[in-house]
Amino acid sequence: MNVEGLGVDLAKSSSPAFLVNDLVKIKNKTPVGHYRTPFYVRGKTGRIERILDEFINPEEEAYGKNVGSKVRLYRVSFAQQELWPEYHSASLDQLQIEISEHWLEPA
Amino acid sequence: MTVPDHHDHDHAHPGVTKDEEPYGYYATLELAVRELLIEAGLITTDEHRRQIEILDSRSPVLGAKVVARAWTDPEFKKRLLADGSAACEELGITMYDGAHLIVHENTDQVHNMVVCTLCSCYPRPVLGLPPDWYKNKQYRARAVKEPRAVLKEFGTTIPDEVSIHVHDSNANMRYLILPLRPAGTEHLTEEELAGLVTRDAMIGVTVVKSSLVQTNRGQA
Amino acid sequence: MSSTEGLISHLPNDIGGKDADAINMEEHSMLPWEKRCHALLDVLATHQIVNTEEKRRGVENLGSEIIGNLTYYERWIVSAVNILFEKRILTPDQIANKTKEISERK
Repeated sequence: MNVEGLGVDLAKSSSPAFLVNDLVKIKNKTPVGHYRTPFYVRGKTGRIERILDEFINPEEEAYGKNVGSKVRLYRVSFAQQELWPEYHSASLDQLQIEISEHWLEPA
Repeated sequence: MTVPDHHDHDHAHPGVTKDEEPYGYYATLELAVRELLIEAGLITTDEHRRQIEILDSRSPVLGAKVVARAWTDPEFKKRLLADGSAACEELGITMYDGAHLIVHENTDQVHNMVVCTLCSCYPRPVLGLPPDWYKNKQYRARAVKEPRAVLKEFGTTIPDEVSIHVHDSNANMRYLILPLRPAGTEHLTEEELAGLVTRDAMIGVTVVKSSLVQTNRGQA
Repeated sequence: MSSTEGLISHLPNDIGGKDADAINMEEHSMLPWEKRCHALLDVLATHQIVNTEEKRRGVENLGSEIIGNLTYYERWIVSAVNILFEKRILTPDQIANKTKEISERK
């Protein structure tokens, strides 16, 4: 479910660690096995575009975890130049992707 | 011991044409899994048949309906951009797979496109099943890195002053693009507008063009 | 330092940003068995017998050679079978017997 602006329903979920427009860095860790955080964003700095609901951690869901504690999901926006050094320097093009909270740290 | 149900082998399911006989290795494997799970009481034949019917009932026609409504009803469009799933449900389009739909609006400043680099996540309840190119390596690898070049291959040129936002559909959200309404369509009905909206425009690799056929509507 | 580390840490489907050829626009209509396979996995996901993330993980676990040689739905059904074995819902012998029985049907 989308969350408009900063209005998160605190009554039914734990507070997000990050807020819209926060600068965040994708952690450069390497799990073994299933992940949904692609290599091309790891170690890169972006901005929180939207706070989403909490979901079962896909890394654990992939091994049969269907219930239990969830992790907050966010949409993160990157300038394309941040991801691809050869991208046109004057472009305002962006890449937006969903990242779980345990993959984020403040930039 | 119960006699295995041969129904699936001898008769076509609704909406599925009969295969050539015999089944190949993988078709046999699918049937084996399905029959064993039905025998174990974990799923039913009816559920499976119903799901095939659901898959058959979803196509880009549904998404086009959503787009045309958004183009003609500003309050609906606001609701659509705030909560895509709920707005689709208003039009009777159920999110049968629990999809959380986010709709991104193309504007004069921003053109949006969707990819799933990791697999093939796609807003199936509202667009049906994705085309092969969406699931294959070339699009998935290149759409994030060189979207303008990829768009050119679809015959789409976005001016430099319009930013491109590429959405990698890698987790729980599913994305539908609300294309720009083309100029010259002011006199078209909602149904006529829906007829202009293509699957590829709702993925974001093309734009919607106004009909080439001049209508007499609105002209004396 | 192992030179094979990338094979373990970098999943075969994680290809965003890699070099690739021009898009092939050709579309094939779904084979009947593929639609049955898709519907089956949808039903399994609804029941959480094989959830969507498990299915994806199962495809990744097939490894590059199998992934490169099987079509999209062929990968799905093999992934599902493996997950069902892993969760002890089905056994390899059940699959062996059932597939044999199916191929002998007239």
